[in-house]
Amino acid sequence: MTTRTWALASTVALAALATGTTGAQAQDCTIPLGAVFPLTGANGPIGEPIAETGRWAVEQMNEAGGVHGCEVEYLLRDTQGQSAVGVDAARNLVDVQGVPALLGAISSGVSLPILTSVTAPAEVVQVSCCSSSPSFTELAESGESGGFFFRTLPTSRAQGVVLGNIASQNYDQVSVIYINTDYGVNLAQEFQQAYEAWGGTILESVAYNQEQASYRPEVNSALAAEPDALVLIAFPVDGSTILREWISFGGPQEFVLSNALRSDDVLEAVGAQFLDGALGVDNAQVSGPSVESFNADYQAAFDADPNRPGIHINYDAAAVTLLAMAAAPEVTGPAIRDHIRVVTDPEGEEVYPGVEGFSRALELIEAGEPIRYVGASGPISFDENGDVAGPVLIWTVTDGALAEDRVITVDEVNALFDELAQ
Amino acid sequence: MMGYVSYLSFFLTLALIYGIATMGLNMQWGFTGLFNAGVVGFFAIGGYAYAIVIGPDRPDLVGGFELPFVIGLLGALVFSALAALIVGLATMRLRSHYLAISTFGIALTIQLVALNFESLTAGNLGLIGLGRPLEDAFDTPLGFNLFYLGLMVVATLVVYGALQLILHSPWGRVLRAIREDEEAAVSLGKNVSRFRLEAFVIGCSLMGLAGAFYVGSIGYISPFDFLPIVTFQIWTMLILGGSGNNRGAILGAIVVWGVWTSSGWLISTILPPAWQVRGAASQVILIGLILVLTLLYRPRGLIGERVTVSSGARLDDG
Repeated sequence: MTTRTWALASTVALAALATGTTGAQAQDCTIPLGAVFPLTGANGPIGEPIAETGRWAVEQMNEAGGVHGCEVEYLLRDTQGQSAVGVDAARNLVDVQGVPALLGAISSGVSLPILTSVTAPAEVVQVSCCSSSPSFTELAESGESGGFFFRTLPTSRAQGVVLGNIASQNYDQVSVIYINTDYGVNLAQEFQQAYEAWGGTILESVAYNQEQASYRPEVNSALAAEPDALVLIAFPVDGSTILREWISFGGPQEFVLSNALRSDDVLEAVGAQFLDGALGVDNAQVSGPSVESFNADYQAAFDADPNRPGIHINYDAAAVTLLAMAAAPEVTGPAIRDHIRVVTDPEGEEVYPGVEGFSRALELIEAGEPIRYVGASGPISFDENGDVAGPVLIWTVTDGALAEDRVITVDEVNALFDELAQ
Repeated sequence: MMGYVSYLSFFLTLALIYGIATMGLNMQWGFTGLFNAGVVGFFAIGGYAYAIVIGPDRPDLVGGFELPFVIGLLGALVFSALAALIVGLATMRLRSHYLAISTFGIALTIQLVALNFESLTAGNLGLIGLGRPLEDAFDTPLGFNLFYLGLMVVATLVVYGALQLILHSPWGRVLRAIREDEEAAVSLGKNVSRFRLEAFVIGCSLMGLAGAFYVGSIGYISPFDFLPIVTFQIWTMLILGGSGNNRGAILGAIVVWGVWTSSGWLISTILPPAWQVRGAASQVILIGLILVLTLLYRPRGLIGERVTVSSGARLDDG
C-alpha cells in the first residue's frame, strides 16, 4: 500500500467518523453567538480565561451536535475595558454579524451601555457572567431591558432574604445598623422586606458612614427602642467598633450579622465570649457532581486549575444561552429569551456541563422533554428580572470560634423567594 | 445589507461626536497652542450635566429635571464652559507641559468626583433610564440610528461653520499669533491671557457638547465612560487628521475611530476561534502600527493646516 492510498483511506475513515459523530448535521450552516470581553487593558488578565471558557462551551456544544444541526460560531470581540469600544463591538456583532445572543461584558460600566443602546433595542439576548450592579435589576423591573438581560452571578438578595428568615425565627423585634454604601443599603432593604414579611418588627434602622472613630449616636438610637437583638450589616473594622459600643452600653448580646463580619478579626476585636450564639450569613461554596465534573474537564482541557474568577459562571452563561438556542423553535432574540427558563426548569431532567451533558440535553430537547441545566456553578434558576440566587451559608459563633451551622441550597433559597412572593 | 447601514450609521455617529471634541481641542492646540491633556474631564462634565438635566427624577439623587434634549445640550455647554473658566483662570498662566500636567490631573479629579459624588452622579452605578431623544418615535434601532446620525451631521456642520467663522476673523488671527510667538503678540498690545482663556473655554465647551451627544446616543452614563484613554484617542485624532485644520480634525476622528474599531472586526474575522483571545493583543499592535506609519508618511496629518497670512493675501506653500 502506498502512502497515497493510506492517506486516502484515512481521509475516508475520518470523514465517516465525522459524519458519524455529528449525525444528521448539515455541515454548512452556522449560527453566530457574540461575545464581548475585555481581552486587553486593566481587566485583560481576568477577561482572557473567561472568554476562553465561553469558546470552550461553544466547542463542546458543536461536538455534541450543534444547535438545530448547525455549527455555532463564537464571535469574540475585545472591549479594551472601554465602554465606547464595547458598545461599538456589540453593535457590529448585532447589526453586521446578526448574532441573536451576546455574552458579556464583565464590568457593569460596559455591560450597561451595551444593554441600553444595543441589545435591548435590537431585541438580542445578553447574558453576562460578571456584572454585579443592581441597576440591571432596576432596568428589568421598569421594563426597560425588555427581559433580554440575564446574569449568572448570584445577587445579594439571597443573603438578605436568608438573613431576614433566620432573624424572624429567633427574634420578634430588632434594630438594624447598616453601612451607607450600595452593599449596605441593598442588603438592609432586602433584609427589611423579608423580615417584615415573616412577621418581624424593625424598631429602628440606622445607616452609618465608614471609618469613624466612634458610633455612639448610631448605637444609642438603635438601642433606645429596646430591641431583642441587633442586626448589623457592616465591614469588620467599623463592625467591631459598633459591637463593642453596643455591648458596653448594655445592649442585649444577641446578634444577626452580615457576610463581611464572618472574620476572626471581629471575634478578636470584640471578644468572642460576648458574641457567643451570634448568627450570620455568607456565600456558600458550591459543590455537587456537576461542579466536580466541570472542574475535572477544565483541568484536562486547559491544564490549569479552574480557580480563576468568573470562569464557572461564564461557562454557565454560555451553556444556558446555547441550550436556549437549541430549545427555541427559531434562533431569534425573543425566542431565546423565552427559552432560557425552559432549559433551567426545576421540574426537568438534570443535565450537566460537558459534551456528554450537552448531547443528553439535545436528545431530551429533541424529544420534547423538559430539562434542567445544572451547571459549573450548581443549579441555576433565573428570577423574573434575569437574576440568579446562590446558596447561602449560615454561621454561628460557638465556644469562642466561628462555626458553620448549615447551608441553604439554591432550591431552598428559591423556595424562600416564592414564599415571600405570595 | 440593512445591518451594515445600521452599524455604519452608529459608527459615524460616534466618530462625529469625537469629531466635535477634536475640533474643540483643535481650537486649543491647533490654533492657540494650549496643551490640554484633560479633554476627557470636560467631556465628562458635559455628559453629566446633560444626564442630570434630562434624566428622570430619582428620590435619592439631586437632579433629574426631565427637561427636553435641547436644554440638556445647553446645560452641557454652560457647565463645561463654567468648569473651563474656573480651570482656565487657575491655569492659563502656565506654559505647554505645565498646563498639560495640570489639566491631566484635573481630568482625573473630575473622574474621581463622578465616582464619589454619589448623590449627584450615583457613583460607580452610573445613571440609568436616560431616554434617548425621540427613541419611541422609531420602530427599529435602524431608524433611531439614522435619525441620530442626521442630528450629528447637522451639529458637526454647525460647529464647523461657526469655528471657521470665528477663526478667520481678527480674533482667530490673534490666536495664531499667540501660538507662533506670544511675545510678539504681547508687543502688539494684545491681552494674551484673555485670548488664551477665551480659546480654552470655547474649546472645552465643545468637548462638553460632545459628551452630551455621547450620553444622548447611549442612554447611560458612568465614570467608566471617562477613562484617561479617551483624552489620548482625541489627541490622536487631531494629530493624525491635521492639527490646525478643522476638516482634518473631523477626518482624523473618523479615521482613528475606524482603525480602532475595525481592527477588532478584522482580527475576529481572520483568526480562527482558538486564536482570538490571544489575537486581541495584536489589535493593539495594529492600531499603533497604523498610527505610526501615518505620522511617518504624513507628519502634518492627513489634511494639514493651510498656510495663509490672511484670507486676502496668498503666499506660496512652503
